[in-house]
Amino acid sequence: MRRLLPLLLLLLMPVLPASAEPPPDASRFFPYTLNTTRLPNGLTVVRVPFNSPGIVAYVTAVRVGSRNEVEPGRTGFAHFFEHMMFKGTKANPEGQRERILGGYGFDDNAFTTDDITVYQVYGPTAGLEKLIALEADRFQNLEYSEPAFQTEALAVLGEYHKNAAGPDLKLEESLAKTAFTRHTYQHTTLGFYEDIQAMPKAYAYSRSFFERWYTPANTTLFIVGDFNDAQVVSQVTQAYGGWTRQPTNVTIPTEPPQTKARSVHVDWPQPTQPRHVLAWHTPAARADTADAAIQSILAEYLVGDTSPAYKELVLEKQYVESLNVYNTPHRDPYLFPIDATLQDEQHRAAVDAVLRREVKAVAGAPVDGARLKAIQDHLRYGLLMDLETPRDVAIDLALYAGVMGRPDALASYLKMLGSVTPQQITLFARKYLEDTNLTVLTLTPKATAAGGTP
Amino acid sequence: MKTRATVSLVLAAALSLAGCAHKPHPEPPPQNPPGEPVPPEPGGVPAVPLKQPQPMQLVVQARPDTPIVSVRLVFHTGSIDDPKGKEGLTALTAKLMAEGGTQRLTAAQLLEALYPMAAELKVVTDKEMTTLSGRVHQDFLPAFLLLFTDTLIQPRFDPAEFERLRANALNAVRNGLRSEDDETLGKVGLDALLYAGHPYAHYTGGTVQGLQSLTLEDVKAHARRVFTQDRLVIGLAGPVDANIQQTVTTRLSALPATGAPRVELPTVKSSAGRTLILQKPTLSTAVSMGFVTPLRRGDPDFFPVAFALSNLGEHRQFIGVLFNELREQRGLNYGDYAYVEHFIEDRGNGTFNRTNLVRTQQDISLWLRPVVPANGVFATRGAVYFLERMSKEPLSPERFNLVRGFLQGYSRLWEQTDQRRLGYAIDSLYYGTPNFLDAYRDALTQMTPESVQAAVRRQLQSEKLAFVFVTEDAQGLAQKLKSGAPSPITYASPKPPELLKLDETIIQQKLPVRPDAIQVAPAAEFMER
Repeated sequence: MRRLLPLLLLLLMPVLPASAEPPPDASRFFPYTLNTTRLPNGLTVVRVPFNSPGIVAYVTAVRVGSRNEVEPGRTGFAHFFEHMMFKGTKANPEGQRERILGGYGFDDNAFTTDDITVYQVYGPTAGLEKLIALEADRFQNLEYSEPAFQTEALAVLGEYHKNAAGPDLKLEESLAKTAFTRHTYQHTTLGFYEDIQAMPKAYAYSRSFFERWYTPANTTLFIVGDFNDAQVVSQVTQAYGGWTRQPTNVTIPTEPPQTKARSVHVDWPQPTQPRHVLAWHTPAARADTADAAIQSILAEYLVGDTSPAYKELVLEKQYVESLNVYNTPHRDPYLFPIDATLQDEQHRAAVDAVLRREVKAVAGAPVDGARLKAIQDHLRYGLLMDLETPRDVAIDLALYAGVMGRPDALASYLKMLGSVTPQQITLFARKYLEDTNLTVLTLTPKATAAGGTP
Repeated sequence: MKTRATVSLVLAAALSLAGCAHKPHPEPPPQNPPGEPVPPEPGGVPAVPLKQPQPMQLVVQARPDTPIVSVRLVFHTGSIDDPKGKEGLTALTAKLMAEGGTQRLTAAQLLEALYPMAAELKVVTDKEMTTLSGRVHQDFLPAFLLLFTDTLIQPRFDPAEFERLRANALNAVRNGLRSEDDETLGKVGLDALLYAGHPYAHYTGGTVQGLQSLTLEDVKAHARRVFTQDRLVIGLAGPVDANIQQTVTTRLSALPATGAPRVELPTVKSSAGRTLILQKPTLSTAVSMGFVTPLRRGDPDFFPVAFALSNLGEHRQFIGVLFNELREQRGLNYGDYAYVEHFIEDRGNGTFNRTNLVRTQQDISLWLRPVVPANGVFATRGAVYFLERMSKEPLSPERFNLVRGFLQGYSRLWEQTDQRRLGYAIDSLYYGTPNFLDAYRDALTQMTPESVQAAVRRQLQSEKLAFVFVTEDAQGLAQKLKSGAPSPITYASPKPPELLKLDETIIQQKLPVRPDAIQVAPAAEFMER
């Protein structure tokens, strides 16, 4: 025991960097090298060496998401289209991709967000050459039949059903519909249920969706892991060289400023806990502003594990089970939503009062510098710790690049995280966390079944 | 989503698949007088004890090329150690130790201390194992080790934290399990059905009445009984030297050397043909089916059967037969999968199974993601058809080579993080299977379509299956199952003739369902006690 006493002392001291001359922050927290090439057709190819012997991650980010679904009745299409990208080409008809990639043991998957569609393939470097050929082929020459399209629409319906049992999907739908009146963020990535049911009829539209968004200039490749860089660049250049589709100009509607507070209530017909969500409109995440970093820090400052609100509402009074902020970076101005999961409906007013008090405090009084420093460490060490595998690195790079539009956006975000000042936090809170800019969402369980929350 | 959870204490309660059927009078476990051999029981699976590692056995996988240190403490204790009427005690004890503060620090102070490190500290309680995993940057290692070990050797057992965590555990049963995730409910239902009367039957996170009956004194006493040196394996990975190994071992020597005797697990009786339908408001029907098996890692049939079930389908992999036939060709749902061991997705690590779900009596399961209710019986028949097909005919050489290639590569992805590598190495101590994944890849080189088929015939008889459905029209489904009538299907789009021809067989596929053993229970009362 005695020899461990110094450890306790260390615990009480401010955190110091391990070495006397630390490397610059971004490289310390993102110790990977990006080799970036832009092909003549506009495709950006980023390679990152990673010590994962024999293993590579191949991630393609296309800047298309539910944000791009501008036509009425076509919500959910970016996500549906992600499914269709697995349906084959003339050279590699449906099933061929699975036979080739499956035979190597690749994990082959994809996901869609409000802003981007990410295709992620992860597995043995031995199969990389064939993988490049398959990927280049489908992004240029996707071809699927109408029956295959109609069948896949049912898989999407199944995905909706899988997600519909809990209240989160409904919460997200209600918040989006209330907070946005014009911008396409007013619908979720899965899309409206009725639009999903009508998807099988939209074959022709799906073809135009591909032409419109799947262009080289709208796409970035991230190849991370153990591979021969020169060989990969040459293979990619050759395989994707013939991809010449030009971007179409489609205007995404701008959301007008909100001028007075809004609210929406959901009665949930099954047992669940009451929810209380406060959501303000906030600026987009961009590589050239600190707004994304400020929102990440503000979320922690207001309701993170060491915040006064967390201590009071979760640990002491126990009115709340959990406090979260869904502040994923968005390409256009989005929301800063604080989501409280209540233990009981009767505490709603008290919880609301504490959260508003904390928001007022951050806008009205100086920000605690020591807490800001701890949050900056927390977020940056946390991000570094999340990058365990080549796939983790590739996906994080793709998420930030896809939203912010620059291949090195993750590094600029990390740099911003380290340089945000107390004054920036205060000014941001003052400007955006205003009552007129607020949407309040409440959810109450109205379960009739025995055993439910009253 | 919180930008980052400092202390992310993931109780098996949220995701795991323990549980017991809502049965007013669960069958008592069979009584065997000590010393007498257990008479063999048709279809029963006796408890063959696992191997016992040395007390505080160290598993070290040092590598200098990462700044992140991983600590993985695996205790041989789980929900089987919950006393009767106190279901949920082990999980709540583990959670309170990890999250409720130490003698030096309150829960809030502990959070404050861990916060700038962004250290991870997770707890997962399963049926027989409780895993505390920690990760931290080496910049903070000494302070972190002190905090992490303090949670075990000097837990605070704060009454307010006890109440808070119990309330959360109750929410997880009443809301999370019963209402918010039909797929997990189906899987927990399957545990309840397969292990009725066995210590595996109840939900790992506890039952409502079990949790309500707990006291802080119960937790304190339980911690001394089961979080003991003789039940602990210590895993360390990353930049760890002899000094760090010594520090951890010395600190944890403050745990009690021994505690409660091990629970003797009874033979699991066959549930062949049984059906449980959990009724709740829902748009769809979720389906789980499976059986308890004597097959464990180390059995000569384990690898070929694992191969066969990977052929049916690994989680979210396009090459699986079920995924291809039921989802891709027929559009029935979002995915369909099969597993040779109990499966709980290791979220955040791809779609792989977790490690350290070591179980004496394992289960084999098939899982169909929600289908529209009209297709519930058809989809179930489809799964059974494709399972049986592997007994009737060997895989074609082309298909066999595809699956073999898949597993040679895909299994490498299972071991790409320090925590997972430690997890496999620790599993191997209990199953007696050193270098488990290398052994699997070696075994793949020796298998043939015929050897896989032979193992399938020995181990994967569809008559052993029991079924769980989560749906709204429970009585309607029960009637369909009882009648055994064909379940025709219509499609919204044209299908190739060979698919329609195969459907004619699937529509009439015999389901091994016993009409006299179909039980309907309201989800709202599931895991009440």
